[in-house]
Amino acid sequence: MKKNAPPEQLDEKGLIAKLIDGDAAAFEFVVNQYHSTMLSVARAIIGDAFADEVVQEAWVSAIKALPRFEGRASLKTWLLQITSNGAKTRLRRESRQLSLDDGWQAEPDSKFDHRGHRIDDVLPWNIDTPEALLENEQLRSVIETAYQKLPPQQRAVLTMYDMGGMEMTEICNILDLSASNARVLLHRARTTLHHSIEKYQES
Amino acid sequence: MFECKDIAEEASNYLDGDLPLGKRIGLFLHIVICSCCREYLQQIKQTISTVATIKPQERHSTDTQALAEKLRALSKGEP
Repeated sequence: MKKNAPPEQLDEKGLIAKLIDGDAAAFEFVVNQYHSTMLSVARAIIGDAFADEVVQEAWVSAIKALPRFEGRASLKTWLLQITSNGAKTRLRRESRQLSLDDGWQAEPDSKFDHRGHRIDDVLPWNIDTPEALLENEQLRSVIETAYQKLPPQQRAVLTMYDMGGMEMTEICNILDLSASNARVLLHRARTTLHHSIEKYQES
Repeated sequence: MFECKDIAEEASNYLDGDLPLGKRIGLFLHIVICSCCREYLQQIKQTISTVATIKPQERHSTDTQALAEKLRALSKGEP
């Protein structure tokens, strides 16, 4: 590993060494890389009002503890765990029950007949390759808006699972959710984004 | 017998392989005969790969550059 490689090309050990060294580019890289996901976790646990503060505090605790980071988990998981602990402490004893029996439906009933068959065809999408998608500003903004409007817990599960490639068990641990609840949240988030792309395709 | 509505509700669990075998086979048998559900599952897959590519971010007003600098200074014990 080259000593002067840019942060995005470093392995995690190299990156942590740079952070301990006080390398400005390394700090900028980790903040840009993880701040948004930490915010997702904090918002999922404690809501919008205190999330920013919780994340700032998590950053400070993490940087102070960095020399003792043992690398048993990835840096990302470690940061998210610190964020989660901070948010849970802040939440104290306030109970937070996730109600899943709220009449949510993957697709509205009107799309199915009385036997559960689809009434209309599902039309194929005229969607670009993932690379071309990055160039499609309009679709990008449709998805970004839909993502930001997702309920915080759905957003956090989607962010860690579909965007961050994390294991479901890790996510459940960080968000303090049962596996079945996390699965339901993930499917709801995906379905909402699916609807937003579907609408965009139809327009 | 599973129907389109079941596919819509279980699409994620089906794609993520998180279902008991009996249900998985039942859904599979429906998918084999239903082109709408095949298209629907394909679209859910595309939704997942699209969001993974676009990587939308949380809305926030934090100046990440200033935060990075604050943390760097902290790590060096600078005031």
